[in-house]
Amino acid sequence: MGILFTKMFSSLFGNKEARILVLGLDNAGKTTILYRLQMGEVVSTIPTIGFNVETVQYNNIKFQVWDLGGQTSIRPYWRCYFPNTQAIIYVVDSSDTDRLVIAKDEFHAILEEEELRGAVVLIFANKQDLPGALDDAAVTEALELHKIKNRQWAIFKTSAIKGEGLFEGLDWLSNTLKSGGG
Amino acid sequence: MSGHDSKYFSTTKKGEIPELKEELNSQYKDKRKDAVKKVIAAMTVGKDVSSLFTDVVNCMQTENLELKKLVYLYLINYAKSQPDLAILAVNTFVKDSQDPNPLIRALAVRTMGCIRVDKITEYLCDPLQRCLKDDDPYVRKTAAICVAKLYDINAELVEDRGFLESLKDLISDNNPMVVANAVAALAEIQENSARPIFEITSHTLSKLLTALNECTEWGQVFILDALSRYKAPDAREAENIVERVTPRLQHANCAVVLSAVKMILQQMELITSTDVVRNLCKKMAPPLVTLLSAEPEIQYVALRNINLIVQRRPTILAHEIKVFFCKYNDPIYVKMEKLEIMIKLASDRNIDQVLLEFKEYATEVDVDFVRKAVRAIGRCAIKLERAAERCISVLLELIKIKVNYVVQEAIIVIKDIFRRYPNTYESIIATLCESLDTLDEPEAKASMIWIIGEYAERIDNADELLESFLESFPEEPAQVQLQLLTATVKLFLKKPTEGPQQMIQVVLNNATVETDNPDLRDRAYIYWRLLSTDPEAAKDVVLAEKPVISDDSNQIDPSLLDELLANIATLSSVYHKPPEAFVTRVKTTAQRTEDDDYPEGSETGYSESPSHAAEGSASSPTSSSNAPYSTARQPAPAPPAPAPAAPVPDLLGDLIGLDNNAIVPVDQPASPTGPPLPVLVPASTGQGLQISAQLTRQDGQIFYSLLFENNTQIALDGFLIQFNKNTFGLAAAGPLTVPQLQPGTSATTLLPMVMFQNLSQGPPSSLLQVAVKNSQQPVWYFNDKISLHVFFTEDGRMERGSFLETWRSLPDSNEVSKEFPGIVVNNAEAAIDRLGASNIFFIAKRKHANQDVFYFSAKLPRGIPFLIELTTAVGTLGVKCAIKTPGAEMAPLFFEAIETLLAG
Repeated sequence: MGILFTKMFSSLFGNKEARILVLGLDNAGKTTILYRLQMGEVVSTIPTIGFNVETVQYNNIKFQVWDLGGQTSIRPYWRCYFPNTQAIIYVVDSSDTDRLVIAKDEFHAILEEEELRGAVVLIFANKQDLPGALDDAAVTEALELHKIKNRQWAIFKTSAIKGEGLFEGLDWLSNTLKSGGG
Repeated sequence: MSGHDSKYFSTTKKGEIPELKEELNSQYKDKRKDAVKKVIAAMTVGKDVSSLFTDVVNCMQTENLELKKLVYLYLINYAKSQPDLAILAVNTFVKDSQDPNPLIRALAVRTMGCIRVDKITEYLCDPLQRCLKDDDPYVRKTAAICVAKLYDINAELVEDRGFLESLKDLISDNNPMVVANAVAALAEIQENSARPIFEITSHTLSKLLTALNECTEWGQVFILDALSRYKAPDAREAENIVERVTPRLQHANCAVVLSAVKMILQQMELITSTDVVRNLCKKMAPPLVTLLSAEPEIQYVALRNINLIVQRRPTILAHEIKVFFCKYNDPIYVKMEKLEIMIKLASDRNIDQVLLEFKEYATEVDVDFVRKAVRAIGRCAIKLERAAERCISVLLELIKIKVNYVVQEAIIVIKDIFRRYPNTYESIIATLCESLDTLDEPEAKASMIWIIGEYAERIDNADELLESFLESFPEEPAQVQLQLLTATVKLFLKKPTEGPQQMIQVVLNNATVETDNPDLRDRAYIYWRLLSTDPEAAKDVVLAEKPVISDDSNQIDPSLLDELLANIATLSSVYHKPPEAFVTRVKTTAQRTEDDDYPEGSETGYSESPSHAAEGSASSPTSSSNAPYSTARQPAPAPPAPAPAAPVPDLLGDLIGLDNNAIVPVDQPASPTGPPLPVLVPASTGQGLQISAQLTRQDGQIFYSLLFENNTQIALDGFLIQFNKNTFGLAAAGPLTVPQLQPGTSATTLLPMVMFQNLSQGPPSSLLQVAVKNSQQPVWYFNDKISLHVFFTEDGRMERGSFLETWRSLPDSNEVSKEFPGIVVNNAEAAIDRLGASNIFFIAKRKHANQDVFYFSAKLPRGIPFLIELTTAVGTLGVKCAIKTPGAEMAPLFFEAIETLLAG
């Protein structure tokens, strides 16, 4: 029985890649997170006009991670990437309190999308290394996460620069996907 | 019923596009690659697969070079139809332009240039900038070409980002391929720009000459074309350049050879030594001859170019006429061109050989070619007096063959020969008359009738001959009718006997009453009145001596020939038309006085035979609107009048190497009244020339107001001006227009200026270094001080609200203040007006203790605001000025300006 299970998993996750979208406002740290996850180091980034896509192997799962540009002009094109997405990583700049409202609106707009109905949501309250950054509870409040219904979600305090919290989030994600949440 | 029918609208088949879409989003790389291949295949056969844009672009970030190339190919094709979505590709471009693989970097930069979507060009500048400085020459060369493409989309952006400078730097690159491509890009940009962008200096010259020997053949073409536009300062340098380039004449590529020929011909204009010129002519002959052993298409291009070359330098190919002899299997278009050149090269020395050839050609089967050969014989007769007799005997031999079209063509040219050599060869008229009945072409008929009329007194049966034509008068074409009318009048005047008298009645009646052709009728009326009022006067008019005609086979207008020679090895030299005549460019072609002459010039250039000119002046069968034979009324068409003298700015424009288009009308802004200009070069240092100058602002534009006073003993002219790099990038927007200055006179001028042209680095400085030169004196350098207020724009006024908001939003570090203890404001209103005139706008005023505080706003170009607070007690010494601006580094300059303005 146990062997059968492993086989099933490998057929599900061994060859197949889980498609993950990294979304969030501009300057939230999406590209930095992507390359921190992929290469384990901090790269210097410029605003992403378009997208980055990389494969990240973690916990025996291959994640195909799409990092989409967060600028206002590019946000309308996020929807081109929604089909077949298993999970969304929504990155919030916790120190940018002024724009948390916008971040919230964009976030809930995404959740409304029919094509993302089955996707699990992982929120990174990023830039915890900066002074004045809100903690996860405050970000939860600001994004009104309690309104999320019928969907698995989690929030983690992260610092892409220091590498904190990212892999904890990925742990949660892989476990959730493995248990069939996606 | 309807419920059943709905099934026709829903289908289980998905169709090709959704299937492809699914495959493009597949988990598996191989499947994605196959899908992209299918998409490209569909694209190449013309199916619209643009709806898959995002899905294809999503496959772009891949390690697989093959897949990447395919996606790039797709992008080039469809980015234009999906301009909004094209932005999704930008990040990949940026990444690929930094890829460790130079091929990928070059691929990215090349594709970037091919995507002509304005929205994303701005994002592509940074990668392009990097690639221009890439370590790999292949990437640099690709980037150079990309700059030219970008210039076509957004010229301003290219200039703002300094790409032109980068391109110019690439001319000094150590890789010849890069140099050649930079030259190609700059030449392309120059063609689309009104400003001088690409000018070869002595430094770049040596770089180009070095690169020439090392780069590919097509690179050589670009470099040679660029060199041919270079004006060597003296004959010696021209000789040096030519010497370096002559080895290119031996190149196997025809394009290289022709470009080298062009370049040498251009430089030869400057070479004075006849020995050197003769030597060069000798060297150019063999390569030109070699071109004629290539394929017919290339031969044709070569021949069209050679046609131009022999018009300027006949000596080059004077001894090579044999290579232009037609081969039996030459295509007709090559034969025609060869004939044309043979006529041009025909001389007393080779005419026997040439005539033998022409006679041969006149018996071939192709009618057009035969006709042209016969005409060629006639043209040679007109061109070479000593050979005329031989030409005529050949023509007579041809007439004896009795091939109809040969006979007719021969009669047409013989008429020209009679016209050229009057009273010399009339003995052959009898032979001509034998063929009278066979003539059926209007031109031949008209020519024959002209001959009969002209020599009526020597043809015994002239009246009978003409009469035979008269029977069909109403059915004849206009040109024959006109000729008949004139010939009959001539006959009547020469033999006023009964027969002709009757004839003239018939003709005049036919030509006035029976016709509705106004030309014919008018001419007939003129004859009628002349004859009825004063027959002697009619004789004087109709039988007057006619001016001599000449061969016009070299009739390309000299200025047009100059231009065509400068365009050798281009379409222009094949068409024999200036480029503007068939290429429309974005560049706004402004006043070119010569333009009007080109159509006419090119027409004469095209004219196939000399008889156009001859007819115009002789019997004029074609030019029906011309008056009948009056005395000197009909000279051969005068060559186009020389171009009217270009206005002064044009000449100066040419001198400075600027295109005329750059000239801004300088006379329109009212010349500055007001205080005299500060003297910057006193007469004592300027060897008698005094220069005063100041920057001014008028009607929203910056001008450099200059006053030149000539206190020397000689007239000064050819004034040029140049500005060194400066903080504001000020440069002249056009050439300096100063008329010739006679001793003791002065001239003022307003030179329009542009900003951000040649920016200097480093902290802001008010220093403006200027160089002025004229043709008689050395260069004068002087320093001027830029006063900031000339830059303040007319739209600098702020509302109170936004003033306060801006003031608050700027951090305190941006606030700078200064005391002016020596300045007093006596009249607040006057001071406000004065500042307002310089675009420093008053906003508000408040009292603070015993002092008044005034607030002003002003704005520098590119939107840098200045918020100004002046504190002073009116009437007492001392003003404090505080400013807040994002451009705080400009503060010292601002204080200088405001001090000047307040001091008034």
